[in-house]
Amino acid sequence: MGGSASSAMPGAASATATAILLQLGGAAFLYAILKAEEGWQVVSLLGLLGFGFYVLERFPWLSDFATSRLARVPIVTMATAAVIVLGFPFLVGSNTYILHLLIVAQLYAVLALALNFQLGSANIPNFATGASYGIGAYVSALLAINFGMSFWLTLPFAALAATLFGFIIGIPSMRTRDTYLALVTIAFGVVVHQLLNNFDWTGGPNGLVGIPAPSLFGHSFADPLQVLGWTLPSHANFYYLSAALVMVAIVTAHRLHNSRIGLAWNALRADEIAAKAQGINVAWYKVLAFAVDAFLAAFAGTIYAFYVSYISPDNFTFLVSVTIMTMVIVGGMDNIFGVIVGAFLLTILPEKLRAFSDYRLLFFGVVIIGFLMIRPQGLFPQRLRHYGGRR
Amino acid sequence: MSVLLEVESVTMRFGGLVALDDVSFSIGSGAVLAVIGPNGAGKSTLFNVITGVYKPSSGRVEFDGSDITGTPTYEVVRRGIARTFQSSRLFSDLSVLDNVVIGMHTRTKAGVLDVLFRHGVSRREMAACVEKAETLLRAAPGDLYEQRYRPAGTLAQADRRRLEIARALASRPKLLLLDEPSAGMDEAETDALVADIVRLRAEQPELSVILIEHDMRVVQAFPEHVMCIDYGRRIAEGSFEAVRTDPRVQEAYLGTASTHA
Repeated sequence: MGGSASSAMPGAASATATAILLQLGGAAFLYAILKAEEGWQVVSLLGLLGFGFYVLERFPWLSDFATSRLARVPIVTMATAAVIVLGFPFLVGSNTYILHLLIVAQLYAVLALALNFQLGSANIPNFATGASYGIGAYVSALLAINFGMSFWLTLPFAALAATLFGFIIGIPSMRTRDTYLALVTIAFGVVVHQLLNNFDWTGGPNGLVGIPAPSLFGHSFADPLQVLGWTLPSHANFYYLSAALVMVAIVTAHRLHNSRIGLAWNALRADEIAAKAQGINVAWYKVLAFAVDAFLAAFAGTIYAFYVSYISPDNFTFLVSVTIMTMVIVGGMDNIFGVIVGAFLLTILPEKLRAFSDYRLLFFGVVIIGFLMIRPQGLFPQRLRHYGGRR
Repeated sequence: MSVLLEVESVTMRFGGLVALDDVSFSIGSGAVLAVIGPNGAGKSTLFNVITGVYKPSSGRVEFDGSDITGTPTYEVVRRGIARTFQSSRLFSDLSVLDNVVIGMHTRTKAGVLDVLFRHGVSRREMAACVEKAETLLRAAPGDLYEQRYRPAGTLAQADRRRLEIARALASRPKLLLLDEPSAGMDEAETDALVADIVRLRAEQPELSVILIEHDMRVVQAFPEHVMCIDYGRRIAEGSFEAVRTDPRVQEAYLGTASTHA
């Protein structure tokens, strides 16, 4: 596979330079938009982004060029990414607001990756990801408050509970499709919200208060993080924790995408009848997509609960599910990188464009309609698998 | 020659419409059966009943010694029946190679836990699939192998048919059902298709084939066993020559000349 093909590939040195520069450029853009205070700064950065995608649209070979260079030196690419992710809090310093935005963006990235299994890989609409997220948060919070369980111990329980929920909402997917299935998932999401609102043991509309901070090797996540003489605010603990979860989500997504399961999802997305004729148990794979989605969403929910230490049903409304869906559509269905970019953009932009804060749902609606009209494949379209070979 | 597939008095009703009316036939392993009949005669319905897309209103389908009447499609495929569709149904946004790899779904077994926690196992399985798929594409007629990274939806019509057959073969079937494989092909391509089927049978003498065909060039290449269906009923069965000259078959295709007499 390697030998003869690699001779046509770009040289390692220039690929290394491209990989590092591209990623530093991305990080610089992220830093700039996080630091932007004035409206005109945000708007001009958005203009820059729009121009970038216009160029990509006009010269499609650019994205092939970039991805082939990044893929040429995977170790360099990953090392650069690791340095950027680990170093970002030092760059931000004591600005806890930016750290907070980054934590939320990372949790949303996990949620969007979770939904991507369904919406992207299998084209199954699901408006209940927010509910799975909530179930993860509530289960872990309840276990921690009532039984004094540690954060780490609650993780598997939360994931298990949400996965069960995923299986349950997956069952109607065997019989309903498209719009009707979307309605069923909306109903499930609303039911979960209402139950959380009305049960006594979930604290009703007041939610759960006083979720203890996790600790690791005796270091409480409520304390500032001391690294090599640097002191980072306590938010940094959760920043690194959610970054680790994003890593887990990326590995999960990547492995599933490149397995027979990812292929089966893609097959039933393209043509359900033909998928059955290849021996794919379509009903099972649909339910599985719901379960995997709920599983990952529960992890995000658990971290969220311990991060804010106070949760209420209003954190897990229908709007959250719509937000996640928008992120997947904007970023690019079935493209792991695209989905993460979508999550970051749509977490940070509404915060920066405060003028829109009252019209958040409208904002998401306009963004979805705009994308479906102008760029239905999303910012980063899905890519064909190449199995180590070249086009 | 042992019997591979036995269809026993299968009737398929959709409301008031009788799509198949008491159809029986059997096919041995290594044999070819050509099914002919006018449009709407129930030929594709027959395939759908055999592959479990429909559960017949009455009757039995027995394959390889066990009853598969109404067995779900994915299970039927696992047991060794693969099919192509009349209007080719490829996964058009996936690559040619992926289409064939998906065809091996029943011959691989990595589950979610394997994929996530025993990554090496699932990766090796996929690598083996890709290798087998490339072998199949190289063996396929035309230049499918060279086009393996193209989206299947961008292939030319004849290549789409070839890819569908390659994808069906990927599941290593005992019985291959071809629904009008020559549709949309010109004469040269049709001859090439016949040559492919002949070659395939030489390579896999155990493989049985049922083909639905309109093109008599294809049917007469496999003249041993031909069955004609009209209005859901089997009206003739036997050698190509016997079926072709059967008055009921001529009536079905050409209309009744005798009513004027």
